[in-house]
Amino acid sequence: MRLSDASVVIRPRSSWEAMDLGVLLARKHRVLLMSSWALVSLPIFILISVVLWDYPSVAVLVFWWLKPAFERLPLYILSKALFGQTPTLKQALRQWPHLLKGQLLASLTWRRFSLSRSFTMPVVQLEGLAGLARQQRLGILQQRNAGAARWLTLIGIHLETALWVGLMALFYLFLPQQVELDWDWQQLALASSQDWLWLEHLSNAFYALILVFWEPIYVACGFSLYLNRRTVLEAWDLELVFRRLRQRLEAAVAVLLLAVGLLVIAPTPQAMANPPVDSKPLSTPQASQSIKHLLEQPPFKNPETVTRYRFGEDQGANKTKPGADAKLPAWLESFLDNLNSDTFKSLALVMEVLLWGLLIAGITLLAWRYRDWLQAFVSRRRAPRPKAEQPVPSQLFGLDMGVATLPTDIAGAAEQLWATKPREALGLLYRGLLSRLLHDFNLPLKNADTEGQVLERVRHLQQPQLLAFSDDLTRHWQNLAYGHRVPPALAQQQLCADWRSLFDSEAAR
Amino acid sequence: MSDSPVDVSTPLDIGRATQLAQALRTELRKAVIGQDAVIDDVLTALIAGGHVLLEGVPGLGKTLLVRALARCFDGDFARIQFTPDLMPSDVTGHAVYDLHTEQFKLRKGPLFTHLLLADEINRAPAKTQAALLEAMQERQVTLEGEALPIGQPFIVLATQNPIEQEGTYPLPEAELDRFMLKVRMDYPDAQQELEMVREVTRSARADMLDVQPLRTVLQAEDVLMLQQVASELALDEQVLDYAVRLARTTRTWPGLALGAGPRASIALVRGARARALLRGGEFVIPDDIKSCALAVLRHRVRIAPELDIEGLEVDQVLAQLLDQVPAPRQ
Repeated sequence: MRLSDASVVIRPRSSWEAMDLGVLLARKHRVLLMSSWALVSLPIFILISVVLWDYPSVAVLVFWWLKPAFERLPLYILSKALFGQTPTLKQALRQWPHLLKGQLLASLTWRRFSLSRSFTMPVVQLEGLAGLARQQRLGILQQRNAGAARWLTLIGIHLETALWVGLMALFYLFLPQQVELDWDWQQLALASSQDWLWLEHLSNAFYALILVFWEPIYVACGFSLYLNRRTVLEAWDLELVFRRLRQRLEAAVAVLLLAVGLLVIAPTPQAMANPPVDSKPLSTPQASQSIKHLLEQPPFKNPETVTRYRFGEDQGANKTKPGADAKLPAWLESFLDNLNSDTFKSLALVMEVLLWGLLIAGITLLAWRYRDWLQAFVSRRRAPRPKAEQPVPSQLFGLDMGVATLPTDIAGAAEQLWATKPREALGLLYRGLLSRLLHDFNLPLKNADTEGQVLERVRHLQQPQLLAFSDDLTRHWQNLAYGHRVPPALAQQQLCADWRSLFDSEAAR
Repeated sequence: MSDSPVDVSTPLDIGRATQLAQALRTELRKAVIGQDAVIDDVLTALIAGGHVLLEGVPGLGKTLLVRALARCFDGDFARIQFTPDLMPSDVTGHAVYDLHTEQFKLRKGPLFTHLLLADEINRAPAKTQAALLEAMQERQVTLEGEALPIGQPFIVLATQNPIEQEGTYPLPEAELDRFMLKVRMDYPDAQQELEMVREVTRSARADMLDVQPLRTVLQAEDVLMLQQVASELALDEQVLDYAVRLARTTRTWPGLALGAGPRASIALVRGARARALLRGGEFVIPDDIKSCALAVLRHRVRIAPELDIEGLEVDQVLAQLLDQVPAPRQ
């Protein structure tokens, strides 16, 4: 690796700028990257699809799972191309089986779900690190730019989804009119029969095509993030500057050295050391004391105050108690040391999440417990709800208001009932009226509304015929229900006739 | 030209009673313009035999309304202006030493009347306010150990300024509970105020409406007749249940710190009967209960402190309550 051969300008960049560089890299080598990806991944995709023809979802899942294996090829191409040794398509393809050797299993299993995959991949593939060395390397690398790499993956997920949906829509738009008529998306969604397998495979193929476009960009972005991180860590830019300096000055350096040497040495006749004039003879204890004093000062000692929790094995306690009792058992001591170190950080995080969750659940529970109170104290500020929001009550004044519970011919039913049970007949008519008001006229009737208030609302509808009928009916109903007065037989005919003229004609329309 | 007094012993005629009540209403509306709802409430109390507390800022015609009522009603009318130095004996009466007979003689106070206007009742301290307690509940006054009954009908119409005003003493709960209705007077509509100003400026007395031209409609016996007719109006069980449910709901309602007592249920039903009569109905319907519920309940409940701090009115909380309690089921 010769930095001076790099085909990009090496300088520290922000993480987003670095990703931008990745996009540029991918664009520069797009033909090579995409064609190599397509040549590797598409045959495997076809193979998987054929093998798992009956399980299209499993097929696409397997294909998706194998992505890290495919990604090694673009990374190889990019790493070569960066230093000007761009391989040909044939070379690259021939190299791919060799690339798969290093830690393939790990990258396909537990590292498959790592969000910073593109960023950490070069460590394994280019640096060839494994085990502890890889861990330490990653620890250093991931101090910066790892977040950006995770974002890159998240953005990638969304981009893939969006492109996939877009391709599906495009496919749908391209359908000829005639075919589209026969298709119903609902049918498509509900179809579980064999006929639609090819469609699912088609959508899988769309996904494979999208990957041909997107994966090289993704790998290039991760790679450039990695490059950027190393540029910052190892000061590649400075190294480059020094190298250039050396190249420029290599010829002149001998002359320069000679000149400097002559200049420095010639005019110093007192270069020979004199014996010290006024120095006192140093005694050993004095010297050691001054050395100690020096050692106490920076940069030899940097006292630092660290505040942390410790078990109370204070001196005070130690003094009062015999030493054996105060001594902690070894296992407890090591346990406490563990507690102080970062070993349990993740556990603590889980605990924190749990405790917060507990708090939120408690508050929710309290709110639920005192919901009546809250409703009384909080809801009054709410603006009056629009009418449409109010659910139609199924019961009003203890009467069942559902349309289904009423007979279809209310007037007829009322006439039949009138002779034997006038109260029920009138109740039926009134119920019918309320039901009509609720369902046909969308009046926001509430359980707390009295008959007078219902009438008032009808008045607002400004339908004189309906109002006259409601008025009449309400009067008779109140007479019967609260005054216990049976309405005259004449009223029955009148009411039923009015009902028919009001509502049955509407129904007939 | 007053209507001839009706003998209470004759069979009660609902139609005539309604006519009488509505005539009275018409007369009062002539005198007090733009306060129709308040007039209805006062008449409700009159027919139901309850006492009324009228609240409103100065100058809305509270006193005028009561004076107009007294004018239309041919019975005894007395007026006490409550002031901070008013004593209980000024209200109830006291014993006076007669030099001639060398005996103590009872001098009855202004309380012994049919219609009592207790003007600005909350300007007097609690001691004087309490002098009304016995009279209002039991319709008798104990003077020098002797219980003296007050004639029927006896109605106290008290007016007061809102509590927030300067120099007022709040009425104790026991006293408030004895008022059947607490009626709030609000400013009249623009149209009605126009009309009122036109009327007032036309009359001879510069700043107030004249109650002189009103005709006397009622005798004292007529009021008793009205009360009896109202008390015998038919009342369905469901409607009764509705009234009691309303009163009981105030006791558990979260927005109210203190609910209404059983007197509220009684007042609700009596008020509803009076309203039915005023409406011309022959029986009580739930609308009658609901229309007088606010006036009956508002002084018997205490709003929760949290809501009070946030500037909510009792009326708003009660309106919410009325909006939630289901109307009678049939």
